[in-house]
Amino acid sequence: MRFLRQLAAVTAVVAVVVLIGVAWHHFAPGSFGSQGGTGPHRFVVRGQPATAVHRGVKVLPGVELNSGGTSGIPPIQLGDLLEPVNLAVLWNTAWIEAAVIAAVVIVDAGLRKRRRAWRGPSR
Amino acid sequence: MPVVSESLPLRRVAARTRLDFWFDAAILVGYTVAYSYGFTGVVIHEWLGIALGVALLLHITLHWDWVVRTTGRLLRPRGPDKLIWLVNLALLFAMTLCVASGILISRVALPELRISLPLDDPFWDRAHTLTAEVTLGLVPVHVALRWRWIAGVARRVFARRPR
Repeated sequence: MRFLRQLAAVTAVVAVVVLIGVAWHHFAPGSFGSQGGTGPHRFVVRGQPATAVHRGVKVLPGVELNSGGTSGIPPIQLGDLLEPVNLAVLWNTAWIEAAVIAAVVIVDAGLRKRRRAWRGPSR
Repeated sequence: MPVVSESLPLRRVAARTRLDFWFDAAILVGYTVAYSYGFTGVVIHEWLGIALGVALLLHITLHWDWVVRTTGRLLRPRGPDKLIWLVNLALLFAMTLCVASGILISRVALPELRISLPLDDPFWDRAHTLTAEVTLGLVPVHVALRWRWIAGVARRVFARRPR
Protein backbone atom coordinates (compact mmCIF):
# COMPACT_ATOMS: atom_id res chain seq x y z
CA MET A 1 0.00 0.00 0.00
CA ARG A 2 2.83 2.35 0.93
CA PHE A 3 4.65 1.45 -2.27
CA LEU A 4 1.54 2.25 -4.35
CA ARG A 5 1.15 5.60 -2.60
CA GLN A 6 4.77 6.44 -3.36
CA LEU A 7 4.39 5.24 -6.97
CA ALA A 8 1.38 7.54 -7.36
CA ALA A 9 3.41 10.47 -6.00
CA VAL A 10 6.28 9.72 -8.41
CA THR A 11 3.87 9.40 -11.33
CA ALA A 12 2.38 12.79 -10.43
CA VAL A 13 5.85 14.38 -10.35
CA VAL A 14 6.73 12.83 -13.72
CA ALA A 15 3.41 14.04 -15.16
CA VAL A 16 4.24 17.58 -14.02
CA VAL A 17 7.62 17.37 -15.78
CA VAL A 18 5.93 16.14 -18.98
CA LEU A 19 3.44 19.01 -18.75
CA ILE A 20 6.36 21.44 -18.42
CA GLY A 21 7.77 19.91 -21.62
CA VAL A 22 4.44 20.30 -23.40
CA ALA A 23 4.19 23.91 -22.18
CA TRP A 24 7.72 24.54 -23.44
CA HIS A 25 6.67 23.24 -26.85
CA HIS A 26 3.50 25.34 -26.77
CA PHE A 27 5.03 28.64 -25.73
CA ALA A 28 8.47 28.36 -27.36
CA PRO A 29 8.22 25.92 -30.26
CA GLY A 30 11.27 27.44 -31.94
CA SER A 31 13.56 26.95 -28.92
CA PHE A 32 15.95 24.75 -30.85
CA GLY A 33 15.89 26.88 -34.01
CA SER A 34 13.74 26.28 -37.04
CA GLN A 35 16.60 25.26 -39.31
CA GLY A 36 19.58 23.04 -39.03
CA GLY A 37 18.91 19.88 -37.04
CA THR A 38 17.57 16.86 -38.80
CA GLY A 39 16.41 14.94 -35.77
CA PRO A 40 18.23 12.57 -33.49
CA HIS A 41 20.63 9.81 -34.31
CA ARG A 42 21.07 10.20 -38.04
CA PHE A 43 23.92 8.14 -39.44
CA VAL A 44 25.61 8.27 -42.77
CA VAL A 45 25.29 4.84 -44.30
CA ARG A 46 27.81 4.04 -47.01
CA GLY A 47 26.95 1.67 -49.81
CA GLN A 48 23.58 0.50 -51.01
CA PRO A 49 21.00 -1.60 -49.28
CA ALA A 50 21.09 -5.16 -50.57
CA THR A 51 18.32 -6.08 -52.96
CA ALA A 52 19.51 -9.63 -53.62
CA VAL A 53 22.00 -12.11 -52.25
CA HIS A 54 24.66 -14.13 -53.99
CA ARG A 55 24.03 -17.79 -54.61
CA GLY A 56 24.90 -19.84 -51.55
CA VAL A 57 24.54 -16.92 -49.12
CA LYS A 58 22.03 -17.61 -46.35
CA VAL A 59 19.68 -14.85 -45.22
CA LEU A 60 19.45 -14.73 -41.44
CA PRO A 61 16.00 -15.10 -39.90
CA GLY A 62 14.38 -11.69 -39.62
CA VAL A 63 16.44 -10.06 -42.36
CA GLU A 64 14.37 -8.45 -45.07
CA LEU A 65 15.85 -7.51 -48.38
CA ASN A 66 15.05 -4.08 -49.73
CA SER A 67 12.35 -4.59 -52.26
CA GLY A 68 13.12 -1.22 -53.79
CA GLY A 69 10.08 0.67 -52.52
CA THR A 70 9.23 4.07 -53.89
CA SER A 71 10.15 5.90 -50.67
CA GLY A 72 13.83 5.12 -51.09
CA ILE A 73 14.00 4.20 -47.41
CA PRO A 74 15.04 0.60 -46.83
CA PRO A 75 12.69 -1.38 -44.59
CA ILE A 76 13.75 -2.00 -41.01
CA GLN A 77 16.10 -4.95 -40.99
CA LEU A 78 15.74 -6.71 -37.69
CA GLY A 79 18.54 -9.11 -38.55
CA ASP A 80 21.00 -6.22 -38.72
CA LEU A 81 20.52 -5.33 -35.06
CA LEU A 82 23.21 -5.86 -32.46
CA GLU A 83 25.86 -6.56 -35.06
CA PRO A 84 29.34 -6.97 -33.54
CA VAL A 85 30.63 -4.51 -36.12
CA ASN A 86 28.56 -1.78 -34.41
CA LEU A 87 29.90 -2.56 -30.94
CA ALA A 88 32.15 0.49 -31.26
CA VAL A 89 29.07 2.66 -30.68
CA LEU A 90 28.35 0.86 -27.40
CA TRP A 91 32.00 1.04 -26.28
CA ASN A 92 31.99 4.76 -27.07
CA THR A 93 28.99 5.36 -24.78
CA ALA A 94 30.49 3.18 -22.05
CA TRP A 95 33.83 4.97 -22.38
CA ILE A 96 32.21 8.40 -21.94
CA GLU A 97 30.33 7.18 -18.86
CA ALA A 98 33.45 5.60 -17.38
CA ALA A 99 35.47 8.77 -17.98
CA VAL A 100 32.88 10.99 -16.26
CA ILE A 101 32.52 8.54 -13.35
CA ALA A 102 36.30 8.39 -12.91
CA ALA A 103 36.60 12.19 -12.98
CA VAL A 104 33.85 12.70 -10.38
CA VAL A 105 35.23 9.95 -8.11
CA ILE A 106 38.74 11.44 -8.24
CA VAL A 107 37.47 14.95 -7.47
CA ASP A 108 35.19 13.66 -4.69
CA ALA A 109 37.95 11.56 -3.12
CA GLY A 110 40.36 14.53 -3.29
CA LEU A 111 37.85 16.87 -1.66
CA ARG A 112 37.11 14.37 1.12
CA LYS A 113 40.83 13.90 1.77
CA ARG A 114 41.39 17.64 1.95
CA ARG A 115 38.42 18.10 4.28
CA ARG A 116 39.71 15.35 6.57
CA ALA A 117 43.18 16.87 6.61
CA TRP A 118 41.73 20.29 7.42
CA ARG A 119 39.60 18.91 10.26
CA GLY A 120 42.39 16.71 11.61
CA PRO A 121 44.59 19.24 13.47
CA SER A 122 41.63 20.92 15.18
CA ARG A 123 40.64 17.70 16.98
CA MET B 1 19.99 5.33 -1.41
CA PRO B 2 19.91 3.21 1.72
CA VAL B 3 23.04 2.91 3.76
CA VAL B 4 24.53 -0.50 4.42
CA SER B 5 24.11 -1.25 8.07
CA GLU B 6 27.46 -1.35 9.87
CA SER B 7 26.17 -3.93 12.32
CA LEU B 8 25.78 -6.56 9.60
CA PRO B 9 28.54 -9.08 9.14
CA LEU B 10 30.83 -8.26 6.21
CA ARG B 11 29.32 -10.68 3.72
CA ARG B 12 25.64 -10.28 4.56
CA VAL B 13 23.80 -7.76 2.48
CA ALA B 14 20.21 -6.85 3.25
CA ALA B 15 17.73 -8.02 0.62
CA ARG B 16 16.61 -4.46 -0.05
CA THR B 17 20.22 -3.29 -0.54
CA ARG B 18 20.84 -6.21 -2.89
CA LEU B 19 17.69 -5.32 -4.85
CA ASP B 20 18.79 -1.67 -5.12
CA PHE B 21 22.27 -2.69 -6.24
CA TRP B 22 21.21 -5.10 -9.00
CA PHE B 23 18.21 -3.06 -10.15
CA ASP B 24 20.32 0.11 -10.45
CA ALA B 25 23.06 -1.85 -12.26
CA ALA B 26 20.46 -3.18 -14.71
CA ILE B 27 19.14 0.34 -15.32
CA LEU B 28 22.67 1.62 -15.98
CA VAL B 29 23.40 -1.19 -18.45
CA GLY B 30 19.99 -0.73 -20.09
CA TYR B 31 20.55 3.01 -20.40
CA THR B 32 24.02 2.50 -21.92
CA VAL B 33 22.66 0.07 -24.50
CA ALA B 34 19.59 2.23 -25.27
CA TYR B 35 21.78 5.31 -25.78
CA SER B 36 23.92 3.40 -28.29
CA TYR B 37 21.37 3.70 -31.06
CA GLY B 38 23.91 2.83 -33.74
CA PHE B 39 24.38 -0.54 -32.04
CA THR B 40 20.78 -1.39 -31.14
CA GLY B 41 18.88 -0.10 -34.15
CA VAL B 42 15.52 1.61 -33.88
CA VAL B 43 13.42 -1.35 -32.65
CA ILE B 44 15.46 -2.24 -29.57
CA HIS B 45 16.18 1.45 -28.92
CA GLU B 46 12.49 2.28 -28.69
CA TRP B 47 11.34 -0.72 -26.66
CA LEU B 48 14.30 -0.44 -24.32
CA GLY B 49 13.60 3.28 -23.92
CA ILE B 50 10.00 2.57 -22.91
CA ALA B 51 11.18 -0.14 -20.49
CA LEU B 52 13.66 2.34 -19.03
CA GLY B 53 10.82 4.81 -18.49
CA VAL B 54 8.97 2.22 -16.39
CA ALA B 55 12.19 1.21 -14.60
CA LEU B 56 12.88 4.84 -13.72
CA LEU B 57 9.41 5.23 -12.20
CA LEU B 58 10.19 2.20 -10.00
CA HIS B 59 13.71 3.48 -9.25
CA ILE B 60 12.42 6.82 -7.98
CA THR B 61 9.62 5.09 -6.06
CA LEU B 62 12.15 2.83 -4.31
CA HIS B 63 14.11 5.94 -3.28
CA TRP B 64 11.12 8.20 -2.58
CA ASP B 65 11.89 8.29 1.14
CA TRP B 66 15.32 9.76 0.34
CA VAL B 67 13.71 12.35 -1.96
CA VAL B 68 11.25 13.47 0.73
CA ARG B 69 13.88 13.47 3.50
CA THR B 70 16.49 15.39 1.48
CA THR B 71 13.97 17.89 0.10
CA GLY B 72 12.91 18.64 3.68
CA ARG B 73 16.53 19.32 4.63
CA LEU B 74 17.29 21.63 1.71
CA LEU B 75 16.79 24.83 3.67
CA ARG B 76 19.33 23.85 6.30
CA PRO B 77 22.60 25.73 5.83
CA ARG B 78 24.77 22.61 5.63
CA GLY B 79 22.62 19.90 4.18
CA PRO B 80 24.85 17.02 3.11
CA ASP B 81 23.09 15.98 -0.07
CA LYS B 82 22.36 19.30 -1.79
CA LEU B 83 24.57 18.64 -4.81
CA ILE B 84 23.19 15.13 -5.23
CA TRP B 85 19.64 16.49 -4.93
CA LEU B 86 20.30 19.09 -7.65
CA VAL B 87 21.90 16.53 -9.98
CA ASN B 88 18.99 14.15 -9.39
CA LEU B 89 16.43 16.89 -10.10
CA ALA B 90 18.18 17.81 -13.37
CA LEU B 91 18.35 14.12 -14.27
CA LEU B 92 14.65 13.67 -13.50
CA PHE B 93 13.79 16.49 -15.91
CA ALA B 94 16.20 15.36 -18.63
CA MET B 95 15.31 11.66 -18.44
CA THR B 96 11.54 12.25 -18.26
CA LEU B 97 11.59 14.60 -21.24
CA CYS B 98 13.91 12.24 -23.13
CA VAL B 99 11.57 9.26 -22.67
CA ALA B 100 8.44 11.36 -23.32
CA SER B 101 9.83 12.93 -26.50
CA GLY B 102 11.12 9.52 -27.58
CA ILE B 103 7.59 8.12 -27.26
CA LEU B 104 6.20 11.07 -29.22
CA ILE B 105 8.62 10.54 -32.13
CA SER B 106 8.41 6.73 -32.01
CA ARG B 107 8.43 5.09 -35.44
CA VAL B 108 8.15 1.44 -34.40
CA ALA B 109 6.89 0.90 -30.84
CA LEU B 110 3.81 3.12 -30.99
CA PRO B 111 2.63 1.89 -34.41
CA GLU B 112 3.18 -1.65 -33.07
CA LEU B 113 0.79 -0.82 -30.23
CA ARG B 114 -1.61 0.63 -32.81
CA ILE B 115 -1.20 4.12 -31.39
CA SER B 116 -0.68 6.91 -33.87
CA LEU B 117 0.20 10.43 -32.87
CA PRO B 118 -0.29 12.97 -35.64
CA LEU B 119 2.99 14.69 -34.82
CA ASP B 120 5.20 16.12 -37.48
CA ASP B 121 7.12 18.57 -35.38
CA PRO B 122 10.92 18.75 -35.34
CA PHE B 123 10.69 20.21 -31.81
CA TRP B 124 10.35 16.75 -30.25
CA ASP B 125 13.17 15.34 -32.41
CA ARG B 126 15.49 18.04 -31.17
CA ALA B 127 14.22 17.84 -27.61
CA HIS B 128 14.97 14.09 -27.67
CA THR B 129 18.52 14.66 -28.94
CA LEU B 130 19.23 17.46 -26.47
CA THR B 131 17.83 15.68 -23.41
CA ALA B 132 19.59 12.43 -24.39
CA GLU B 133 22.91 14.26 -24.50
CA VAL B 134 22.20 15.90 -21.14
CA THR B 135 21.43 12.50 -19.61
CA LEU B 136 24.72 11.11 -20.92
CA GLY B 137 26.47 13.79 -18.87
CA LEU B 138 24.27 13.43 -15.78
CA VAL B 139 23.85 9.65 -15.46
CA PRO B 140 27.55 8.99 -14.76
CA VAL B 141 27.63 11.92 -12.31
CA HIS B 142 24.53 10.48 -10.59
CA VAL B 143 26.34 7.12 -10.31
CA ALA B 144 29.69 8.57 -9.30
CA LEU B 145 28.27 10.69 -6.47
CA ARG B 146 27.27 7.37 -4.83
CA TRP B 147 30.57 5.59 -5.51
CA ARG B 148 31.25 4.93 -1.82
CA TRP B 149 27.87 3.19 -1.42
CA ILE B 150 28.40 1.24 -4.65
CA ALA B 151 31.93 0.22 -3.68
CA GLY B 152 30.78 -0.82 -0.19
CA VAL B 153 27.88 -2.95 -1.42
CA ALA B 154 29.88 -4.42 -4.33
CA ARG B 155 32.60 -5.50 -1.91
CA ARG B 156 30.00 -7.38 0.13
CA VAL B 157 28.03 -8.76 -2.80
CA PHE B 158 31.11 -10.11 -4.57
CA ALA B 159 32.93 -11.23 -1.43
CA ARG B 160 33.84 -14.93 -1.56
CA ARG B 161 32.06 -17.10 0.94
CA PRO B 162 34.38 -18.90 3.37
CA ARG B 163 34.78 -22.61 2.55
